[in-house]
Amino acid sequence: MFKSVFRPCAAVAKNARMTLPVRNSILMPQMMVSPIRFYSATTDRNEITQRVVDVIKAFDRTNASADISSKTLFHKDLGLDSLDTVELLVAIEEDFDIQFPDKVADELKGVEDTVEWIANHPESE
Amino acid sequence: MLRQGITGLTRVSRLLRVGANSRPALSGGIRLYSKAASNAALKFADDAALETHTDTEAAAREQTVTRAAATSSPSEVIGSSTSALQNAYAENTGFGTRPIYLDMQATTPTDPRVLDTMLKFYTGLYGNPHSNTHAYGWETNKEVENARKNVANVINADPKEIIFTSGATESNNMVLKGVPRFYKRSKKHIITTRTEHKCVLEAARAMVNEGFDVTFLNVDNEGLVNLKELEEAIRPDTCLVSVMAVNNEIGVMQPLKEIGSICKKHKVYFHTDAAQAYGKVPIDVNEMNIDLLSVSSHKIYGPKGAGAVFVRRRPRVRLDPIFSGGGQERGLRSGTLPPPLVAGFGEAARLVVQENDADIAHIKRLSEKLTKGLLSIPDTSLNGSAEHRYPGCVNVSFAYVEGESLLMAMRDIALSSGSACTSASLEPSYVLHAIGKDDALAHSSIRFGIGRFTTEEEVEYVVDAISKRVKFLRELSPLWEMVQEGIDLNSIEWSGH
Amino acid sequence: MSSLTRTQVLGLYKQFIKNANNFNDYNFKNYFLRRTRASFRENRDVKDQEKLNLLYTNALKDLGVLKRQSLISQMYTFDKLVVEPLKTEHE
Repeated sequence: MFKSVFRPCAAVAKNARMTLPVRNSILMPQMMVSPIRFYSATTDRNEITQRVVDVIKAFDRTNASADISSKTLFHKDLGLDSLDTVELLVAIEEDFDIQFPDKVADELKGVEDTVEWIANHPESE
Repeated sequence: MLRQGITGLTRVSRLLRVGANSRPALSGGIRLYSKAASNAALKFADDAALETHTDTEAAAREQTVTRAAATSSPSEVIGSSTSALQNAYAENTGFGTRPIYLDMQATTPTDPRVLDTMLKFYTGLYGNPHSNTHAYGWETNKEVENARKNVANVINADPKEIIFTSGATESNNMVLKGVPRFYKRSKKHIITTRTEHKCVLEAARAMVNEGFDVTFLNVDNEGLVNLKELEEAIRPDTCLVSVMAVNNEIGVMQPLKEIGSICKKHKVYFHTDAAQAYGKVPIDVNEMNIDLLSVSSHKIYGPKGAGAVFVRRRPRVRLDPIFSGGGQERGLRSGTLPPPLVAGFGEAARLVVQENDADIAHIKRLSEKLTKGLLSIPDTSLNGSAEHRYPGCVNVSFAYVEGESLLMAMRDIALSSGSACTSASLEPSYVLHAIGKDDALAHSSIRFGIGRFTTEEEVEYVVDAISKRVKFLRELSPLWEMVQEGIDLNSIEWSGH
Repeated sequence: MSSLTRTQVLGLYKQFIKNANNFNDYNFKNYFLRRTRASFRENRDVKDQEKLNLLYTNALKDLGVLKRQSLISQMYTFDKLVVEPLKTEHE
């Protein structure tokens, strides 16, 4: 019971902290709570890495056995081809609510590159 | 409740985002609108949901109540199926409620690409395709003719040989009534089979009333016509042989090419009802010597309410039209064509050609998985030929289970025990009777239809759910209990009823 | 038309995946994902620039259809299927 109430809240918080406040102003005014927003200003690389790793784990075409760390490379370690990599990046984009420009996407070869780019573009779209 | 609200919001916000990212024309349009509108109106526009949700569960519940009420006596069977139903629902928490659609022989979902083609006819291209004095007519006519080309292409016909109708029922009636009526001076005989769709059987019966002789050929226990019997049935005054390409209940595919050559040899017109076959199994009207062929749009992911009939031009097949009127469609089918439906049908036909390889491979793979899963349940059997079949239609008998109670226990899977036209009655299927199944087995049969949009996950769910519930229902069945005890059911003398 | 770059093709693939993902309808979403994956892989070894350009032009048309129809799918929604988990996407 508690679990089911708690889960959607966590989901919303996660969602809200990375979205642009402007976009939310009409749709979700009650969710523009400041404690959530200040988090994105001090983007924590470890936190981002953890989230990227979680997305990769949930991605169903990876080698499940692979131990994923910040050094993991998409092609070499996970066995993803260029098209799979695109799909993984889409999953990451959706989780973080960001957009990798096409030129950047082609350069992202592993977890570290991706985390680095996200950390440098906290409010990118 | 809370969760539902949140999901809704997320969805709307995603929708707006997508809208903003999409084609410049679209977002430009929106911006233009908001500039013109006052602030209040703008606020209203943003608050109003673009999303419109259809609650299908309420309708399903209502239907269940109505059905239960219609059954007069609360017999044991109803009681057991109700508890099976509750049993089935308890385990599904955390998932949606809308059933998996596995009734592809009844109709198929409209392909989004088809809808995309159709929408422009509801938004701007509203001209009458038969108006030849202005651009509104010309532009619609162009689309209609393009659709005709696509429809013809599937069966290697000439576009001029395609007559658009409202569906396969109309096409079948046109042929079964029109051809004999035209040749009635010299020809008085029609040949068809016992496993045809109701509309062919009924149209043939109507011709009996008009003084024609009709031969209804039997099929063997695989559902196939005997070619020798067919040839022997042809008389000097036979004008038409009508044999369906793929059966709608058991998916059995008739040997069209062989039938075609027999008909050609005896100079008899050959019609095939290809509603379930068109775009799904290879058909070439020239190679197979087919003179007339009926098609339905909504069986190939096109819109409902459209169909076509192929009428050979060389050598010319003549038929009396059913409709009198302005002489559209070579005078065979008067009345203004519905361009949205015709164009949607054309796009659906284009897509079955384009997607042919992918669709066939996908459907075959899922069909094998489903058949294997279902037949691994004890005392089950596949109805109809295992070899000559369209894989997207799998008809299975579950002995010692009442088909209706199984269907009632399966609100989470949309299935049918036969054709949609007859499933309202509790009469067992005449097709299954024709292939020699007894009442009990005919009553315990279920048809599974797989299509382009069926997923592997759905098939896995269905195999699992059916296995569990057949087991559950059998445990409640006294017959099953007797069989388990080794009693031969045929040895029992049933006392009156 | 100038020659097609790898980045362009991957960008196109990304657009297809994103738009297919946007379908609210379970069956349509999975179908378009499946077809997108298969057709891009089918054509991955095409080297002929002329053929590539034709594929690209047709793909752009299909992408337009996908964009419009995924939007419509989000506007006209129905209950989730019994195989669809009800949890939110950010689980």
